[in-house]
Amino acid sequence: MSPDAQSPDSWPMPNAPAPGGHQVYETVHHHSLRKKRGLPPVKMQVNLTSMIDVIFQLLIYFIVTATFSVGEGAITAKLPTGPGTPSQAKPPDRPLNIILSSASSSGYRISVRGAPSQPTSFSELGELLMRLQYNPERGLTEGAYKPDNPVIIKPAGDVRWQHVVNAFNAAVRARYMNISFAQSQSEG
Amino acid sequence: MPKSHKKKGGVSPDMNMTPMIDVIFQLIIFFMLVNQIIAEQLVQMIVPELDEPKTVEIEEDGRLIVNIAPSPYNSDRGIGELTIPGEATLVKVGLNDFSIDDIDAVKAALKEAKESADAAGQPLRILLRADAALYFEAVQPVMQAIASAQIQTVHLVAYLPEDQR
Repeated sequence: MSPDAQSPDSWPMPNAPAPGGHQVYETVHHHSLRKKRGLPPVKMQVNLTSMIDVIFQLLIYFIVTATFSVGEGAITAKLPTGPGTPSQAKPPDRPLNIILSSASSSGYRISVRGAPSQPTSFSELGELLMRLQYNPERGLTEGAYKPDNPVIIKPAGDVRWQHVVNAFNAAVRARYMNISFAQSQSEG
Repeated sequence: MPKSHKKKGGVSPDMNMTPMIDVIFQLIIFFMLVNQIIAEQLVQMIVPELDEPKTVEIEEDGRLIVNIAPSPYNSDRGIGELTIPGEATLVKVGLNDFSIDDIDAVKAALKEAKESADAAGQPLRILLRADAALYFEAVQPVMQAIASAQIQTVHLVAYLPEDQR
């Protein structure tokens, strides 16, 4: 038997049990070699480099993904105040009515009351609304509707929102200033 | 006379990283919170895409976003794709969710927002953010609810022109 392979009986045992049954262990103080040799103690330092790396990665991620602007904007509209009436208390004499209804092919059909020809797309609607406008400042003298005449958009209930907003946008593009919605045609 | 450091082998220069880490943590928390607040007010949807859009960015001051969304959101759907059913299910006023059937609760929430804005003397800018595929009859009750809260104008949300994004 080698000297290292001691039997359990030869292992260092704690002192005799205390009267209460607890065993008392002898405290062993460890003295570092540096202290024994009279050298100054080593200053303990946490290595922060990897943490800073991670924090910078997080910071860059959040800055890049911060969605302050989500690529959306808005156009201002007036709201209907009652069934079948525009938002003005006193509607002027000549409102320009744009009626939107659903169609199977393109999803919408546009009709402008009193217009000589009906537009088939929203860019055509914008051009038509501009032709119908009387605004000498912009060189538009053939039309009968002033820029502050009310433009009332009357969509049918089953017209998609995209087409409703597009019609509204066409009127804004033609520089009308008083654009509002009427109630849905299917209800009113 | 103090001993030269050279005799001890020199002092390694240490930069105090604590203030820098403090500042960076503050920045991270700021960006996380801002992201969270913006994301909570926006319901995932596809807003209308317009021909030659005249949309402008709306000031954040006094802004209240009203979302009207169909359900469920389909992430495979492309912009301008309008083939999904056009009925609305969810209305979100600010951070509060309502069912489209509970339009009275929407009206109450809007009235409360209007009253508190008036009391504070601040403008209330309603951003109506509805999915492009919704039927007008799905959006109209919410527009009426906004009008019934004595709010006359509303800002219709659509995509911004490419050059303004």
